[in-house]
Amino acid sequence: MSMSEQKTLKQQVTLLELVDRVLNKGVVVSGDITLSVADVDLVYVGLRVLLSSVATLEEPRERISTAGAAL
Amino acid sequence: MIHLYGVVEELEGLPPVAGVDAGRLERRRIEGLELVISRTGEESDVTQEAVLSHAHVVEELMARSAAVLPARFGSAFSDEQELADAVRTKASALARGLSIVRGCFEFGLRVLGGDGAAENASNDLSGRDYMRTRLAEEKARRRLAQELHEPLARLSRASVRFGGASSDLLQSAYLVPRQDVAVFGEHVRGLEATHSGLTIICTGPWPPYTFAANGEGGEK
Repeated sequence: MSMSEQKTLKQQVTLLELVDRVLNKGVVVSGDITLSVADVDLVYVGLRVLLSSVATLEEPRERISTAGAAL
Repeated sequence: MIHLYGVVEELEGLPPVAGVDAGRLERRRIEGLELVISRTGEESDVTQEAVLSHAHVVEELMARSAAVLPARFGSAFSDEQELADAVRTKASALARGLSIVRGCFEFGLRVLGGDGAAENASNDLSGRDYMRTRLAEEKARRRLAQELHEPLARLSRASVRFGGASSDLLQSAYLVPRQDVAVFGEHVRGLEATHSGLTIICTGPWPPYTFAANGEGGEK
């Protein structure tokens, strides 16, 4: 694996881990969470979308916001 | 709507970043707990941008406070009253959660590999012997996962192993005190060196999302 491939893979893994945490974990203060983000299908589809869009990224945080694909 | 980022302790000041939907960050104090929120539109969609904004704010809060209990994305309230009521009913659990995560980072671990012995040998085995090999392999995998997990758990204030349908050998999270992060990292690198046949992926430092969920006695 080349250095740039490794870097891309690292970014993908980091982003997947990030999304997994933000959507699935953390404290829930409100009784009813407004978005059913723990729904497996939603998260799973979202991860696939992220995977396909993140492959072209150089700066994961800054550039992803312009990718525009919804979860 | 009011979007909640988390409960914080000793926050130096609000970070100079925008929240979800470019909302301005605000502080609220309810029941002695400090919260960071921003206002969003009626229907806040789960977009990549929104998720990353939320994560970015939480990370910035982490860098400016003694402790952060990150809120799960989607913790929204229709107004200030609903927020205050929700926090009041959970105040003691939230305070307890803050004390658990104070001074710690979260690290995630995924270990892949350590399987395939039965598949490789399957051509030469009877059905019974194949199943025996599978059973032996499964036991060996569990033993190996425990061997990898235990020393890391000992270096942590808290740890969680995730089970479920994952085919990963080990999927876990560790709450590591700031001063022990270097030792924790060294130990992970040691595991990589001694288990070259496994793929070991360690990510972090993260805000303690996993342990915020545990602190409230919640799921997972």
